[in-house]
Amino acid sequence: MSLEIDHVTKRFGTTVALDGLAFDVAPGEVFGFLGANGAGKTTTMRICLGILRPDAGEIRWQGRSTHELPRRTWGYLPEERGLYPKMAVLDQLVYFATLYGEPPDRARREAVAWLTRFRIPDYAGRRAEELSKGNQQKVQFIAAILHGPEVLLMDEPFTGLDPVNLILLREAFLELRDRGRTLVFSTHQLESAEAMCESVAIIDRGRLVAGGAIRELKRASGRRSIRLALGGDAMPAWLGELPGVEGARRSPAGIELEVLPGSDPASILAAVLARGATVSNFAVVEPSLEALFIEHVGRPADEDASLAPDRAPSLQAGGVA
Amino acid sequence: MAGRDPLLPNALVVARREYRDRVKGPLYLASTIVLAGLAMLVAMAPVAVRYMDRQTVSRIAVVSSDADLANRTVGVADSVLNTRPPDVDASTWQKPYRFDLVADRQEAEDDLSTGRITGMLLVDRAAAGQVQIVYRSNDSPGSSRAQLLALAAFGVGVLDWSSRLPTTGSGGVAPFTPAAFETQQLNVATEAGRTLDAQEVASRGFLGIVFVVLLFITVVIYGMWVATGVASEKSSRVMELMVSAASPRQLLTGKVVGIGAAGLTQYLAIAIPTLLVVAFQDRISSVLLGPGGMEGTAIVGLSPGLLLAYAVFFLLGFTLFALIYASMGSFVSRPDDLQTLSLPLSLLATAGYLTAVIALGGAQSTWVTVASFVPPFSPFVMLARLMVSAVAPAEVVVSIAILVATIAVVAVVASRMYAAGVLLYGQRPGFRAFLTAARRA
Repeated sequence: MSLEIDHVTKRFGTTVALDGLAFDVAPGEVFGFLGANGAGKTTTMRICLGILRPDAGEIRWQGRSTHELPRRTWGYLPEERGLYPKMAVLDQLVYFATLYGEPPDRARREAVAWLTRFRIPDYAGRRAEELSKGNQQKVQFIAAILHGPEVLLMDEPFTGLDPVNLILLREAFLELRDRGRTLVFSTHQLESAEAMCESVAIIDRGRLVAGGAIRELKRASGRRSIRLALGGDAMPAWLGELPGVEGARRSPAGIELEVLPGSDPASILAAVLARGATVSNFAVVEPSLEALFIEHVGRPADEDASLAPDRAPSLQAGGVA
Repeated sequence: MAGRDPLLPNALVVARREYRDRVKGPLYLASTIVLAGLAMLVAMAPVAVRYMDRQTVSRIAVVSSDADLANRTVGVADSVLNTRPPDVDASTWQKPYRFDLVADRQEAEDDLSTGRITGMLLVDRAAAGQVQIVYRSNDSPGSSRAQLLALAAFGVGVLDWSSRLPTTGSGGVAPFTPAAFETQQLNVATEAGRTLDAQEVASRGFLGIVFVVLLFITVVIYGMWVATGVASEKSSRVMELMVSAASPRQLLTGKVVGIGAAGLTQYLAIAIPTLLVVAFQDRISSVLLGPGGMEGTAIVGLSPGLLLAYAVFFLLGFTLFALIYASMGSFVSRPDDLQTLSLPLSLLATAGYLTAVIALGGAQSTWVTVASFVPPFSPFVMLARLMVSAVAPAEVVVSIAILVATIAVVAVVASRMYAAGVLLYGQRPGFRAFLTAARRA
């Protein structure tokens, strides 16, 4: 049984935040929940948690509706980071875990173990306000998982992390997945999502525009690109005008050619060689998740949508259920 | 989701954190010490008043149509009431009473009603020749002053009888009849059918002010603590974590209970040393003012019933205001925005406080009585009425019942408003938005 988002609709006043949103997340997988700002990601998570109630539709986990599930089913890392600034790190980790029903002693042991793992054991007795943003984020992540939730919902978990901490967090994700936890996270860092997720849902203005296994999405798009390196590191203007090529751009790996659906990469290579260019590298690659995102949403992931209900729910939202 | 969450243990977990967070703060410790010091100073006020009183003289008017009788009364009363205590130095001692002959009774009555004199003695003679003395004042018949005057009246009767003895042996000796003495107490205050004497009435008025001020301070300050706590959780964004871990009902209850307990702790830390000062006031007075100084200084009338009433009205008053303050706190994004939104509630509390002060002055008008039943004024006004006047037990029960019912309704509405407000960011807080949410709740 999976996490089922079953045709959920949510309105804030006259604004439709979620419009019949529907997708499934398989248990024990790392799932990417993608969309531009204001697409409805946070609203969906809040409905999962029971903080908001849907106007129509239902969210179920293991066949049970969210309002039948205990709170400790979920772990939540909100987009807006927040801790009690004057409270010691370890104290607040134990506090949050206790609210979820964890015995304080066990919560304390687990918290110390996670702080050690995240290389901040010395911060246990410090006030949260003394920590850097990245370290506060790690503390909040620990707060979200300390009670051993079945499903972990994370809103932009990688924001503000340096590369080392990013790796630490990714490793933690994979370990939790291996322990059978289901991880759902939203992010604008699509390369992170591509590296970690088996499946994704891409939503736009409260509707699902693409969803499923990333590999399937790539295959279904019919799009491919060619990664090319020419002698002299040049990028001739004629590359974009070759038959079967939609566009050309520089990338860290060299030159990337967008191939029109149905075109033969071998013909393109032959055309490049016919122009007298020296080819030092040639590879046919599937489209990136970012390319798929832009294809479906029509703009980059970090660009605002016209609606941003997640940031400013109106009084009509009904607040916390 | 709130429906599935029992209140405990999460409300207790939240309450414990709130309590610890409050009582560990340096501001809490500093304010407790300052307030306890102030309260003890206030408790010492009667000693200071008595000290000042020693420098003044109580005046009693003597009114009589019989000049001889009037002079005799002044003489006897002066010798009985102005007796120097044996252990007091004669060079520093001064008479505590002055007896003035006043020809016009109305003038004496006017002076008595305005407080210029302490009392008046109406001295007359019945047709059979018996001396009749009426003592009019705020003193009860059982007060020490009234009893000393009764003794003086006996002396007046003896002197009057002896003055009327025939000087020759021609007439018979009239039988001795003691002077009739009556105490007429003005502004009678009672408790459970028992008449309170003037010292007790004054003491109750003093305690009433102390209690009402304490109640006002606790309600407004501790209520603002609740509102500030909610607003701080919103501004630090920790609220989003909290509402996913606990229900709004659990959070609201925990916050009110935790901060209420911190307030109660501070109250006890202030009240216990203050009550000790009150309990040992006679000894302190004796040390400061000498052996005769303890007379009339003790705070009397602090009955267990009144202490219980204070505890009940503190608890209910704080709960009512704290619930409203919490829901208000949930509607602002920063603690700084609270001042505007909480002003109307602070004004309501102030109105209750001022009405209570008027009630402590002895006013028993209809609107004061009505206010003692209507929340949010009732905690202040009923407490004040209890302190200074006779209130039927049924009235107290009805007032508390209305207050409890109001709290139950406010708790439901506040819980829903809190739930609506805690995730409301980026909107300008306003009283209109708050009322709109209240209507929807």
